[in-house]
Amino acid sequence: MPTDTKRVRGPEVSQSPLLFVSKPATALPSHGPRTDGRPRDQVDVRPVFVRCGLVSQAKGSAYIEAGNTKLMSCVYGPRETERKDETDMKCGRLTTDMRFAPFSCPERGSWIQGSQDKDLSLMLHESLQPAVCLHKYPRSQIEVNVMVLENSGSVLAHAVTCASLALADAGIEMYDLVLGCAVRQDGSSYVVDPTYKEENSCSSASSENQGGLTVAFLPSLNQISGLQSDGEMTEETLTAGVRTCIEGCYKIYPVIQQALAKAVRRAAPPPSES
Amino acid sequence: MRINASPSSQPIDERSTLLENMSPMKLCVPGDKLCSVEDCIPGTGVYLRHGYIYSSLAGYVLRKNEGEELPVISVVRETEAQLLPDVGAIVTCKVTSINPRFAKVHILYVGSTPLKDRFRGTIRKEDVRATEKDKVETYKSFRPGDIVLAKVISLGDVQSNYLLTTAENELGVVVAHSEAGAQMIPISWCEMQCPRTHSKEFRKVARVQPEYLQA
Amino acid sequence: MAAGFKTAEPLEYHRSFLKENCRPDGRDLSEFRATTLNIGSISTADGSALVKVGNTTVICGIKAELANPTVEAPGKGYIVPNVDLPPLCSSRFRPGPPGEQAQAASQFIADVIESSELIHTEDLCIERGKLCWVLYCDIMCLDYDGNLLDACVIALLGALKNTQLPEVTINTETSGPEVNLEKRHGLQIHKHPVGASFCVFDDSILIVDPTAEEECLSTAQLTVVTDEEGRLCSVHKPGGTSLSAEKLQEFICRATARQKEIQKLIDKVIHSVKTAQ
Repeated sequence: MPTDTKRVRGPEVSQSPLLFVSKPATALPSHGPRTDGRPRDQVDVRPVFVRCGLVSQAKGSAYIEAGNTKLMSCVYGPRETERKDETDMKCGRLTTDMRFAPFSCPERGSWIQGSQDKDLSLMLHESLQPAVCLHKYPRSQIEVNVMVLENSGSVLAHAVTCASLALADAGIEMYDLVLGCAVRQDGSSYVVDPTYKEENSCSSASSENQGGLTVAFLPSLNQISGLQSDGEMTEETLTAGVRTCIEGCYKIYPVIQQALAKAVRRAAPPPSES
Repeated sequence: MRINASPSSQPIDERSTLLENMSPMKLCVPGDKLCSVEDCIPGTGVYLRHGYIYSSLAGYVLRKNEGEELPVISVVRETEAQLLPDVGAIVTCKVTSINPRFAKVHILYVGSTPLKDRFRGTIRKEDVRATEKDKVETYKSFRPGDIVLAKVISLGDVQSNYLLTTAENELGVVVAHSEAGAQMIPISWCEMQCPRTHSKEFRKVARVQPEYLQA
Repeated sequence: MAAGFKTAEPLEYHRSFLKENCRPDGRDLSEFRATTLNIGSISTADGSALVKVGNTTVICGIKAELANPTVEAPGKGYIVPNVDLPPLCSSRFRPGPPGEQAQAASQFIADVIESSELIHTEDLCIERGKLCWVLYCDIMCLDYDGNLLDACVIALLGALKNTQLPEVTINTETSGPEVNLEKRHGLQIHKHPVGASFCVFDDSILIVDPTAEEECLSTAQLTVVTDEEGRLCSVHKPGGTSLSAEKLQEFICRATARQKEIQKLIDKVIHSVKTAQ
């Protein structure tokens, strides 16, 4: 393994203390209320706290907190594209970068971007691109950066919401906002906006209908811009899951709208009517 | 600093609702349906879809009567944040380097709006002035560090940057420093003088228009 | 016109303010920006702190892991500090491996930990020659508006003070470690180093706590780190114009005063967190 000379290095191997816990963690129950008190099989998303325009250096930025999941997104640009090819002449380019802070998960992550981060960046890109009026920005690129500060589940869904808020805060023209919501199917029951523990535990014995689903949704146009699912689900479960996610998106829509309105109002008073 | 607001029981910010009620200005976010095309003409910050006008920005909804039958509807923000240099736009730029064929510049302003990110442009030798193009010498027209007023003539192609021109009386160098480091005073359309050493240097000087002084 | 002047001639713009003994953001030359501290906000970390110095925002998260001590130092643990400047925090940073500034900052923090004796690595030993703690101190900038080093030192100190390590015992039968997450204890912080950064303008004008713009335009930068006993832990001056001994003395005095202010802030925040629990 090549040594990393650009960072302060520690010992070659170190292990998380979680591996040596004397009492094994109890599996989450698959019935009854969830550990955070939310009911199962209902569209009950965690309350979200959102703020726009926190980062002074960025054109637009947003912070979102849902339960313990904490994310930040910054938008830079439109600026000159670094790589140029024919397609950039007529329309702009959207780049996305999503990363986890090393301390964001129960087990420490590496500084180097893993394949998970790259997959998530790509999915974020797919979810956002249909909403951005890229033809308005010829020759330029718009950069979206997302940093996960604490991962307590449903990060992709919240990253989509957060990034679209940052884009709107930056004044990038968009057809619609993009909202994200995730569900976790566990046998016959499901949980909306799952926590990290719920995402990483499978409690029921049957392997059928075990999986996760994240939907990116344009609420005003009523269109889905991104869909990611893993695990094994029947067709009916999947379509029901998509519908649940859309419902979940509508639940956070007013909070997002209010946060944006607040940011606009804080930036400037209404222009004169003349 | 952390406040958890549940979506169903969003605490009502009394002051903001008060403001909303008092001010006739409506706020909107991207994707909000504003009105039908039969009621308004679309302006900036909006887009058309299935006969309706939607907002593409988060900002204030502005209706303006401009003598047409219908008012123009636009969505405006505190600044025109996303302005990009377009063909025909007057830009303020700083010269970064020169060579016998062209001068390279950084575009700082479009009209009077500052750009947050820098965009590069090129002023070719033949675009420096309108007459006697073949006699132009770039180093007698610009020096690195000069502030130049120019007009965008093309967005350029894959290899090149924005192409700019100064071939108008009002375009050219507006601020320049002499070799002694003092800000020079224009004395003709092609010369500037240093107030300290009284030496003259060649520039393609702009005839300063009062409206550009704001920039 | 002011805005135009600022973009076209930034150096002249700053000079015009400095002539009047003030700065574009309204501060006088020896004034720090408002500093706030928020600790323990990241529950996945063993200790964390978020620091804002004006617009500059830095978060530090500490993760403790178990490892074997080295043969050379069987009774010592490890502290691994790293500073990251992600593209999120400013348009000047590009994605990819850490740039020069991030590498220099990481090394600076490592030097401060070492020279200040903030933590004795002996305290991190669990069983001599067998098991010890590794403290990964990951410092990440979220908004870069100058004076990164000061913010990093405060964030590190806040996070270390907030760190709670689980109890570890060695099982006599299996000789493997056993971790009890319910029982946790804090770290012993021996010293409280705090940094103060300065900028030199035009070789003669001195300002404290520079913004990103001021850093770019300045001719030299200097960071002085002192602890609560007024002892110098580190003086970091990467190149730039020369400084007179008197000026340096003046800086050190200002840095000791700053140390007192920051330590008061940290104590206050830690106290408020404790009473809230």
